[in-house]
Amino acid sequence: MYRTKEKLGNFTAEDAPQYEDVLQCMRCGFCLPTCPTFALTGRERSSPRGRVALARAVAEQKLEFTEAVKEEAFFCLDCRACTTACPSGVRAGEVMEVCRSQSHQQLPPPHLGKSFRAFILQRMLPDPDLLEKSMLPARLYQRLGIQWLVRHSKALKLGPAWMEKVEGMLPQLAAPLRPQLPELIPARGEKRGKVGFFLGCVMTLLYPGVSRQSVRVLAHQGFDVLTPQATRCCGAPHLSEGDRQTARELALFNLELFLRQDVDYIVTDCAGCGASLKEYEEILEGLAEHDRLAAFRAKIRDVSEFLAEVGLRTAGLTAVAKTVTYHEPCHLCHAQGISRQPRELLRRIPGVELREMAEASWCCGSAATWGLKFSAASQQVLDRKLNNVSQTGADILVTANPGCQLQLAWGVRQAGLKQEVLHLMELLGAATPE
Amino acid sequence: MISKTAIEHLQQRLGTANVAFEKEDLLVLGYDSTPGVHHLPEVAVYPTSSEGVLAAMEIARSEGLPIVPRGSGTGLSGGSVPVKGGMVICLNRMNRILEIDEENLAATCEAGVITLDLFNATAAKGLFYPPDPGSQKISTLGGNVMEDAGGLRGLKYGVTRDYVMALQCVLPDGSLLTTGGKSVKDVAGYSFKDLLVGSEGTLGIITAVTVKLIPPPQARRTFLAYFDDIRTAGEAVSKIIAAKIIPSTMEIMDRATINCVEDYVRIGLPRQMAALLLIEVDGHPAQVEEEAAGVEKILKAVKAAEIHVAKDAEEAGQLAAARRTALSALARVSPTTLLEDATVPRSMLAETFAEIERLTAKYQLKVGTFGHAGDGNLHPTVLCDERNQEEMARAHAFYDDLYTQVLAWGGTVSGEHGIGLAKKEYLARQIGAGGVKVMRRIKDAFDPAGILNPGKIFDEHDPCTQTHVEEGFRVSH
Repeated sequence: MYRTKEKLGNFTAEDAPQYEDVLQCMRCGFCLPTCPTFALTGRERSSPRGRVALARAVAEQKLEFTEAVKEEAFFCLDCRACTTACPSGVRAGEVMEVCRSQSHQQLPPPHLGKSFRAFILQRMLPDPDLLEKSMLPARLYQRLGIQWLVRHSKALKLGPAWMEKVEGMLPQLAAPLRPQLPELIPARGEKRGKVGFFLGCVMTLLYPGVSRQSVRVLAHQGFDVLTPQATRCCGAPHLSEGDRQTARELALFNLELFLRQDVDYIVTDCAGCGASLKEYEEILEGLAEHDRLAAFRAKIRDVSEFLAEVGLRTAGLTAVAKTVTYHEPCHLCHAQGISRQPRELLRRIPGVELREMAEASWCCGSAATWGLKFSAASQQVLDRKLNNVSQTGADILVTANPGCQLQLAWGVRQAGLKQEVLHLMELLGAATPE
Repeated sequence: MISKTAIEHLQQRLGTANVAFEKEDLLVLGYDSTPGVHHLPEVAVYPTSSEGVLAAMEIARSEGLPIVPRGSGTGLSGGSVPVKGGMVICLNRMNRILEIDEENLAATCEAGVITLDLFNATAAKGLFYPPDPGSQKISTLGGNVMEDAGGLRGLKYGVTRDYVMALQCVLPDGSLLTTGGKSVKDVAGYSFKDLLVGSEGTLGIITAVTVKLIPPPQARRTFLAYFDDIRTAGEAVSKIIAAKIIPSTMEIMDRATINCVEDYVRIGLPRQMAALLLIEVDGHPAQVEEEAAGVEKILKAVKAAEIHVAKDAEEAGQLAAARRTALSALARVSPTTLLEDATVPRSMLAETFAEIERLTAKYQLKVGTFGHAGDGNLHPTVLCDERNQEEMARAHAFYDDLYTQVLAWGGTVSGEHGIGLAKKEYLARQIGAGGVKVMRRIKDAFDPAGILNPGKIFDEHDPCTQTHVEEGFRVSH
């Protein structure tokens, strides 16, 4: 859906929503109580129903594509909670993703912002080497003690709010994982198959330790793990920012790369990447052969989905005697419908006691760059989440997506909570013997 | 056109953040859940107290603006659509539960409290608020009262009206009326409370509600019964009632609805069945035991294809939740879901299903039927496309025929959704021109200037009462 079509109302022809998709909404309002931005504002236009109605008004030429429409397109967290809640099958999040692309066509930002965005999206993210080099200053910043100085001098208070948050969110950086990871890690024990591992950008740069555990766990579970060095960004940041053209180029590249490999499944430990890979079939419609798209789509698994499906081998796992609560990443539970499997895995780790938090599938307020663009609103969404986390009294807060992990780890630190924040694979890695 | 001064005035009195006049804000307040209606207000306000509502009312009156109250906009007859423009008063920021009075078994809330939130808050204290409209997760209590919302438990426990003890209401003349109270018995004068319940925002704007609570049933049992023929399901319902068993719930879904709901919930509903009944009995454990046995016996006697008993409360909850999605799930099939609210005496259920089948074939339409079979309240829903004028005309003819028959059987044109915009012409047929005339006189008594939700329930100037000889009005059922 949403490829180049004929012009619809006041949308431009390129990447416009389809009329059928906005007409599908029968305005029952089932989405209202699930929408974090509606909960924040109580304003109909900041609800999924309202946003779809705005898109419909643009399509029906009752409204120009105005600044307010653009504002709502970017204020939407794209958490897809409304998609889960909608009995009629309306995909308001995707409609808003397309509207973001429309906003770049119709209401382009000032020149400077435009080139900065283009540089990040079109130069850096598609180029793994460049991306890795770009992290060097940040690592030096931490290593040389400048971070310590900056934090203690409160110098960041002078800059924009998002800068202070970015700085505060940075985990202790290690060298990127991609160049270090062997392309093929052989299975341990009785071999069960061969998987391709899709290493995401944020994982290799900010959480190399997590993906290191993922591939180790997969090998330990009996799978040869192939991680193609040439893998490029999945395109999720581009879809999120409304750059659908670059997203398609990246998708085509990854599609061809992985279809060339002899693997049974393609596994990722990043919920954002998983959701994006599963949507290649739609964004590449008409650009690649249907059979190839379907074959690719059929192989994609989130690591938790995969391990639950093949069955976790628990023999030899060491006990982790901890209480754990689980935060569901939006792009896992709402975009991919994976909710049961991570819990199933947690319950199977010896010693782990799972304590459910209230509203486990409510967004944490990270949502790609949303948490930086709307830092005050993000803080409110995060506070609601942290309150639910702390009510459980669990030792460990587990999640399964790097964006959530950055936001939650930062939030827990800021609020002085006791919880350690881990990716599910880190916990499973801790239970998996060397 | 609203003046700039009036907007400034509103901003001063209600706070800038509680006044909206941008087109994008107004566009999304021009609808409720009723298909095909969209009219923009000139301004919208979000009061946070009754004083705010009073202030908004005062300014609207001085500007001569029509006023339309609005909760979550889940209405299904167009009650909150601002057909004459003017001011929409959104009550969803007045969402505090003010008191749960355990000594008097009563709860008092602001109008914007979400129905399910009240249910949960009272359940936490071991009490029960029975009305449960399908939209309970979204709809507001004020909206429930204004439309006299029903729900899945209406059969045994009644509708919103049966639980309203007191109302606080802003009247069009700018006064604040409190009517009713926590006394169980009260026959002092006209019952304004009963007049206001179901008045669809035409007489006053509710700002707070006191509702009656009851002790929760100690036990419940939930069944699913499947049928090869929907008329058999109707027969089962009539026989259960005739056997003097009143389940708390008897909900029906036909094949089209089963399939759409299953597409969404994926809990393994059998797609090939012609109909299913969701039946719940509740009460004292011994009574539940006895009634459940009676229900099973009747289901077997009418030859239900299969009977399934929910294994636990979780499964029962899941089934009820699935049923609640019926209407929205039907929207998967077509862009427009034109739903009706026909209600018949329960002995006529099987005939009603047969009539719906006959008319579906006659007008060549796609129809999904579901509803509260136990109280005779069905929602036959035409699955159509509002862009297809010819199909819409057939849908209209379908309802026209159906209502003629329903009224001939002593039924009603609305069981729980109200008249609003959608059913004005049918109301006149049910209660007669004389009935409409008396209603209009009552409206005039409350709202002589006609500024409150104009154009709803009946037209402002109904030609039929001016040109026709007044008929006597039929006793309603």
